[in-house]
Amino acid sequence: MKNTVVKIDNLVKRYGELVALDHFSLEISEGEIFGLLGPNGSGKTTTINCLLSLLSFDKGNIEIFGKKMAPTSYDIKKDIGVIMQNVAVFDELTVYENIDYFCGLYISDKELRKQYVDEAVSFVGLEDFLKFRPKKLSGGLLRRLNIACGIAHKPKLIILDEPTVAVDPQSRNRILEGIEELNRNGATVIYTSHYMEEVEQICTRIAIMDKGRKIAEGTKDELKSMIRNTETVNIELIGLTDDIKAKIAELPHVYSTEYDGTKLTVCCSGGKHNLIRILGVLQENDLGFGRVYSELPTLNDVFLEITGKALRDDADSAKKAAPHEKANKKENFR
Amino acid sequence: MFLHNLKYELLCNLRAPALIAWLMIFPIFLGIVFRIGFGSIYENNDLFGAIPTAVVETEKDEIFGRVIDSVSGEGSPLLIVTYADNDKALDMLKNGEVKGIIYSGGKVTLTVAGKGIQETMLKAFVEQYGVYETIIRDALEHDPAKAPKVIEALSSDIKACTEIPMTQGNPDPYAQYFYNLIAMVAIFGSVTGLHITENNQANMSPLGAKKNCSPTPKSISLIASLTGSFIAQAVCMLICVTFIVFVLKVDFGGRLPLVYAAAVTGGIMGVTMGFFIGSIGRLSNEFKNGIAMTVSMVGCFLSGLMVGSMKAVIAEKLPWFNNVNPVAIISDCFYCLNLYSDYDRFNFKMISMLVYIVVFTALGIILSRRKKYASI
Amino acid sequence: MQVFNAFFKVLRSKLGIVLIYMIVFVALVVVMTFTDTASGMFEQERLSICVFDEDCTPESAALREFIGKRNDLRELENDNDTIIDALYYGRVDYVLTIGKGYSAKLAAGDTDGLFESKRMHDSYSTVYMGQTLNEYASTVSAYIAAGNDISAAVSKAGDAMLKDAEVTTISFDNSSGGALSLRSSFFFRFLVYVLISLTMSTLCPVLLAMNRKDVRYRTDCSGIRPNSYTLQLFAGSIIYIFLTWIVLMAVGVFMNGGMFEGMQLIAVLNSFIFMVFSALLTILLSSFSPSINVINIITQVISIGMCFTCGVFVEQSFLGESVLAAARFMPAYWYMRVNRMLDGSETYDGSLITQALLIETAFVIAVGAVTILIRRIKLSDTSALIAGRVRA
Repeated sequence: MKNTVVKIDNLVKRYGELVALDHFSLEISEGEIFGLLGPNGSGKTTTINCLLSLLSFDKGNIEIFGKKMAPTSYDIKKDIGVIMQNVAVFDELTVYENIDYFCGLYISDKELRKQYVDEAVSFVGLEDFLKFRPKKLSGGLLRRLNIACGIAHKPKLIILDEPTVAVDPQSRNRILEGIEELNRNGATVIYTSHYMEEVEQICTRIAIMDKGRKIAEGTKDELKSMIRNTETVNIELIGLTDDIKAKIAELPHVYSTEYDGTKLTVCCSGGKHNLIRILGVLQENDLGFGRVYSELPTLNDVFLEITGKALRDDADSAKKAAPHEKANKKENFR
Repeated sequence: MFLHNLKYELLCNLRAPALIAWLMIFPIFLGIVFRIGFGSIYENNDLFGAIPTAVVETEKDEIFGRVIDSVSGEGSPLLIVTYADNDKALDMLKNGEVKGIIYSGGKVTLTVAGKGIQETMLKAFVEQYGVYETIIRDALEHDPAKAPKVIEALSSDIKACTEIPMTQGNPDPYAQYFYNLIAMVAIFGSVTGLHITENNQANMSPLGAKKNCSPTPKSISLIASLTGSFIAQAVCMLICVTFIVFVLKVDFGGRLPLVYAAAVTGGIMGVTMGFFIGSIGRLSNEFKNGIAMTVSMVGCFLSGLMVGSMKAVIAEKLPWFNNVNPVAIISDCFYCLNLYSDYDRFNFKMISMLVYIVVFTALGIILSRRKKYASI
Repeated sequence: MQVFNAFFKVLRSKLGIVLIYMIVFVALVVVMTFTDTASGMFEQERLSICVFDEDCTPESAALREFIGKRNDLRELENDNDTIIDALYYGRVDYVLTIGKGYSAKLAAGDTDGLFESKRMHDSYSTVYMGQTLNEYASTVSAYIAAGNDISAAVSKAGDAMLKDAEVTTISFDNSSGGALSLRSSFFFRFLVYVLISLTMSTLCPVLLAMNRKDVRYRTDCSGIRPNSYTLQLFAGSIIYIFLTWIVLMAVGVFMNGGMFEGMQLIAVLNSFIFMVFSALLTILLSSFSPSINVINIITQVISIGMCFTCGVFVEQSFLGESVLAAARFMPAYWYMRVNRMLDGSETYDGSLITQALLIETAFVIAVGAVTILIRRIKLSDTSALIAGRVRA
């Protein structure tokens, strides 16, 4: 049994009327890359801020490394690395100075710090930009600087709050690989995102959040097994009659069939040879077909099935955004 | 940890020079304006200089001529006399070349073009001549035997009044504008102080949030930030005073080291005031800036930066207020050092500043002490 | 009209800070006006004199009375610091101590060292009072020498010295008094400071928000022409400042004790032009997107600097030639010229007033044109900036 690194117990956080976190509980063990997945405004950042003791909360309990977290828990804080959603660096300081500054908040030993900073620089690949000021960096480089500032002191627990927002695919892959490497070197990682692909790619365990509640938790396979759908078969064909469609629907494991005149979509749960059986029916009825493909379920399907809405339903969730996100909007005209 | 924070605090100040630069430019600029603007006012309007006067002799009057000679000659002349005919004298009066025209011969009369101390002095001079004339005439008529004694009494050079100098310092009342200017730079330290809270409070900036997550105690990073701002502001003050004293050559009296000490202390007080304002509640940065500015500006106004007589008016109507107004306290320090020989009031003002520094810092730290936020 | 509308929406969000500045500045202009009207910065013929009578004899009382006839007597605490303060700030012009034994010494014909005066420097008042006291002493001793006893001598000397000389006052100034009362004149004078400070302090936060880099980039990408953008900003700013100006004028009407009428309307027009100038200058400065802290300090430099050089805080007649020569390049100088002609400190000259108003208008146009130009240049700057960023 691995040690529990983070334990959140029945956390409740209200912003006035709005319940941002509704009895939210979580346990993260050592060595995990834990993904916190949810649409905008689902409470991911609020959870992180509560975890870091920046936000007060109405109810609940938070323990990190087995100790209760408080604003003055410096012994806990020294082992945490934080990469905030907003890039927080000094515009006045160069890349190197920024990393050194933040590392220096954790590590007093100058020799060690220099070594750590150099390692962080090469880790994020900013060697060529050491003397640059943040304003001169592109979005991707800036994110990498932000990460370097968070991990230079080699923390045991790394919290990344949507570190890949507005980052191009190459930079994003680089960042994800980096996170996996940090994890291999022994760090426990908490990773929030609303990009399910990222979470699927790197996380060992995932919690899905919506409206301040945890709606599912487990490894990605566990999550996917929670839903009926195990396979979706798509077949492009013309001239499917209701008759044949009914035959397909009667096949074992098939629970839904849809046909729009050019494409047949069949959802199956369980079973091993669904595609062959479906194609068999088509063959029996001498029906030709074009492209055939089969998809395994994604986290989006999980989310869709549990909440009845798509994960990246941004337009919808933006309307219900939590106040702290509204606050960000307010800043537009500062 | 403290030194690490301080180092980067100073580096940030150095790299974002706009604010500090303006804090240095503005006293230099306004100092030059004051110097050029006030440079001649004091000498022309306050310090005594012989009064230019035209004398028109309608007929020869030997006695009056001798009297005129006695007040316009070498030594300490009262008048600078130009003898002229009526037209020329009027012309000079119109152009302001003379302050008045004295007509002699028969009855001595005076013509002036305005009202003021110089005109009053000319009038007194003419009147006195009349008085002496009357006394001597009376004496000659009533008791000629005593006349020589009377004349002697009138003509003896007497010094009825002993003048006691009140100060060794610079009595130029326009110097107070420079005192207030330095006080203004000091109180503008509040602008430097404002960002301290912003950079250290999790709910005010992402940087603050990040700092809050580190194991460096907030008190240390706050004190490091404060120290950094103190140093930056102190440098501003030193440059400001040096410029005013050595380049503009404004006389601050003989106690320059204490002038510097007072200026630096004032600057530190300004920074702590800004720190305190910055840590009040969750007002927007802009709003806090507005508060700091209005407090500073009203303070400057009530200390007499804009209307010089303001401080005296306050001293008369609300005497306690000059001991409370931070700007007045700073400028009074320079005033005391310049004019007073003892240190009582200066010490009182310095202690007031220190009290302010302690109170502002304490309140600021209490208000922004480590806490969780209801929302970020 | 989008920019115009946005301007007022942003302004609404800054209402708190706008109101604070508004209240403070209205209070300032009222206090300034009253303080200066009360203390009167004009030269006086009567001096303020403080007399400490240590002799306490009928003779010393007579001297005190004599001094009081032509001057104002002030009471002061007999304490060095108080006296220094009073002398330095001009609350009194002269501090006289009538020494103990004054009357005895005078009766004996000893005129030296009768009095003590506490002096700061050789001012006209010290010299004048020194002379007067010497003359008084010698006149009294002359009367004693002529055979009078001391009390008769004192009263005769007093009477003789108080006889007014024949003084003709010629006025070369053919102005027929001013259209503005002293108080209104002070009001319009300090309005220069208030208008420019208030405009810059309240307009800048709004303009800086509109000028924020991201917002500006976004706006620059839209179809709106930069000139149209700038003109909409002008319109918004001027309408907003116009409203604050109306408030200030209402204060002015209160100070004036009635509606402005006749020639006084020139002062109103004068301040209107200066208001537009302040608004445009603010837009110009905010085009450089300085930080709010920096703009605050620049505001002080401009408002205080301009007010001192142009004769707002210190009478123009006190300022040296060189200062006034430089001040001509600032609209506040011309504003003050108009004000001085209206309150009678300068000869009224209709064509000069027109000229001054036109020069002020020229400043308005110049600042407006430069602003439009700068904003266009800034626009092309934007693309250069973006191109200059390092790509990863």
